[in-house]
Amino acid sequence: MKRALRMSYLVAGVAGIGFFVMSVLLLGVWPGRVLEQQIRGMSPDHPLRLTASEQRGRTIYAREGCAYCHTQQVRYVPNDVARFGAASLAWETIFDYPHLWGTRRIGPDLSREGAVRSADWQLSHLYSPRGLVADSVMPAFPWLFDGAPDRPRQEAQDLLAYLETLGRNRALAGPEGEARARAACNCSDDEKQLAFGSPALNASPSIARGQGGYPKLSESGDPNRGQQLYSSNCAGCHGLRGEGDGPGAAGLHPRPANLSEHDYTLDRLGSSLWNGSAGTAMPAWRDLPIEDLSALAQVVRGFHQAQPEPALPQDVLDLGSRVYAAHCAQCHGENGAGDGSAAGQFPIAPTNFRAQRPSLAASLRALRNGVEGTPMAPWTSQLSEAELSAAAYFVRGFFQGGN
Amino acid sequence: MSDSPPPAVSPPVETRLVYAHGLAALITLLISVTFGVLASIELLAPDLATAHGAWLSWGRLRYDHTQGIMLGWLGNAFFAFLYHAVPLLTGRSVTSARLGQWMFGLWNFAVVAPGWVLVLAGFSQPLEWAEFPLVIDVFVVLALVLAIVQFLPPFFSRGLEDLYVSSWYVIGGLVFTLLAYPMGNFVPELVPGARGAAFSGLWIHDAIGLFVTPLALAIIYFVIPAATRRPIFSHFLSMLGFWLLFFLYPLNGTHHYIFSVIPMSAQLGAITASTLLGVDVVIVVANLLLSLRGAGWFPRDVALRFVSTGTVFYLIVSIQGSVQAQMSVNQSVHFSDWVVGHSHLAMLGFASFAAAGGLIHAWQRIPTARYNPRMLDWSYWLLFAGVIVMVSDLTIAGLVEARLWQTTQPWIESVRAAKPYWLIRTLSVVPIGAGFVTFLIGLTTGDRGGGLGAVKASIGLEPIQEIAPVFTVSTAPESAAEPS
Repeated sequence: MKRALRMSYLVAGVAGIGFFVMSVLLLGVWPGRVLEQQIRGMSPDHPLRLTASEQRGRTIYAREGCAYCHTQQVRYVPNDVARFGAASLAWETIFDYPHLWGTRRIGPDLSREGAVRSADWQLSHLYSPRGLVADSVMPAFPWLFDGAPDRPRQEAQDLLAYLETLGRNRALAGPEGEARARAACNCSDDEKQLAFGSPALNASPSIARGQGGYPKLSESGDPNRGQQLYSSNCAGCHGLRGEGDGPGAAGLHPRPANLSEHDYTLDRLGSSLWNGSAGTAMPAWRDLPIEDLSALAQVVRGFHQAQPEPALPQDVLDLGSRVYAAHCAQCHGENGAGDGSAAGQFPIAPTNFRAQRPSLAASLRALRNGVEGTPMAPWTSQLSEAELSAAAYFVRGFFQGGN
Repeated sequence: MSDSPPPAVSPPVETRLVYAHGLAALITLLISVTFGVLASIELLAPDLATAHGAWLSWGRLRYDHTQGIMLGWLGNAFFAFLYHAVPLLTGRSVTSARLGQWMFGLWNFAVVAPGWVLVLAGFSQPLEWAEFPLVIDVFVVLALVLAIVQFLPPFFSRGLEDLYVSSWYVIGGLVFTLLAYPMGNFVPELVPGARGAAFSGLWIHDAIGLFVTPLALAIIYFVIPAATRRPIFSHFLSMLGFWLLFFLYPLNGTHHYIFSVIPMSAQLGAITASTLLGVDVVIVVANLLLSLRGAGWFPRDVALRFVSTGTVFYLIVSIQGSVQAQMSVNQSVHFSDWVVGHSHLAMLGFASFAAAGGLIHAWQRIPTARYNPRMLDWSYWLLFAGVIVMVSDLTIAGLVEARLWQTTQPWIESVRAAKPYWLIRTLSVVPIGAGFVTFLIGLTTGDRGGGLGAVKASIGLEPIQEIAPVFTVSTAPESAAEPS
């Protein structure tokens, strides 16, 4: 009896260890094998590894606890997919030692962050998050910089490099990679839809889409709502009075648009708000409802004070026209629509003067100084003062009216 | 019935080690809470510490907060309790007082203190409940091995027959923590991405399920009969609860990654285990509450009061856990402050109340320890109020965030909406912090050896000289556990 009792505790002890081993086998080892198979079937042949700099950036991301507010897994849930894009596949994190999946989201998921924001935005945001996003609670990391957002130290550059890898491999896999993964995916139709069905790999509304359709905004909007949206979402860069001098503006190249110096058509604003401006830090705001975007557009148009337009002598206009045709039309287009033959080469679209009219001062300044961060160069060495003024006047004539 | 009846005189308790670990627990507790408070304030005033550089950055404070609570506060409190309880449970002294001094030094000066400093200096690993850097993990594993050497031989030399349930939990907790710790701390460094996350998920739950819960339950199962001077309601239910717990807890891990790419069958298994775990906890808690019957919801003995409230929190948090593991609930509340509320209910409501009760109970029985019953009474009510405010607040915040995430509102709207709740969460530290400070004062001021007098006053009995017999397990209930 006594011996049997002793044995029973031995059995119990072995069973206890057995429970633990079973849990590790069932929830650790076995899923690992399934995942390995999945990865083998679905991964592209040569996913990019991290470079030394990106790897160092990853270490910074890990040590600063980024993963404790930003997940790196888009779950197989419609809301996740709607916000962040295609659900994560197992192979996307194969180089993560250790993984950075995270279990809490104070900020958005970063699985595909690489494509979401411009480099200058990322650096400015790391330097001073509230400069760009007024209500952000993200810690600032000024110690990664030499006193200014556009003077990153090696560490900030590494971190930026790492952020830009997020989602890179999935994007590089391309349609063939997606098709291959889809074929190899041993998953339900629902899961297939969530992993491969979304129109864009990244559903983030922040992505500047460059071109594409945009909805028509309405001429009216609730001014209070517009003002509130503007101050919490736009003022960080464009400044409270729209002068492009918000706290986040300093580190952005090109600088945020000075909204008070331009007359915009409603379509121009609709396009920028819906698609963002490719090549700049301006993201798309398409997760806001149309009424909100319309209200915002009204706020933006309100910044511009219409000046009395001087009537110009014909010879000035002729000179402007000649200068424009000779020097500007290749990029800005014969009709000022920003669609010149060279426009396609640039990462940033040339200004479409039919949709936006700069003030004379802004126009002249751009011609004299160029526009930093864009292909627009200073023209003072090529053009005389008279020619500069004439061209500055001339481009303003393309504008297609108040709406 | 029993082959080796408990000795008439209890073996000497290493009171100096109880005292040392108890004080270390209190100090590390206050430091860990400070990390937590600073982190919560930085969510309200994110640029508060920016000028002070990287050391006070949110991520680093967040790492130190949870590691400090788990290893510093709970670890030390558990060790203090074990030095008190193991001799009484086994009738034998722990292996060696000298070993105890080494363990104390190792735990506090090779694990907790350097761990904190290294995290603040930027050396850490981004794994939940495993944030201290790898070099610290080596010392943790060493200390856990030493803890097994220190505490388990008395059980084995006594013989494993008729072990009281607390003893089972102590043995289980120490052995399985040693097994699970490397899995959460080392494996994800070697196994990448999704495969590593599967192991990480296991550890996230095992840290709570195999370290914190068993030792907290060991305390609860110990303090209730010792303080009420009545045996536990049912040893059968105790053991049923124990084995179900050790069967089910390890199978829960993957519920941290529901709807992830980890195979659905593993997720479903974890969800099933999580559901059954709720059932198991109902069994455990029913047994505990039935053992408490007659003591009232708020017993006068403050140690017993902490423990019994911790028991109720355990029931609530476990049922909440079962609910939030269900896919329909998890789909919306996962990633939100709901979960932060849940973990505070577990670590602060359940584990810390149990640990505080165990510490006070042991303190009452150290003849030289100071004891201030009024302060401890304050401590209880302040903590009780604080936990309720904080957890309800975070739970509601989680629901608000979850709702906003389902709309097409910009992400920042959910941050904006959470801010008032974060303010209340930060304010909840007033009662919680005051509760912990009065806790420290309660155990460091007052009369030396005043604890037993307070117990006597609170239950109207003579000071308890001898409590070991209460833990005798017997198959004949009528003869069981009458205090001699």
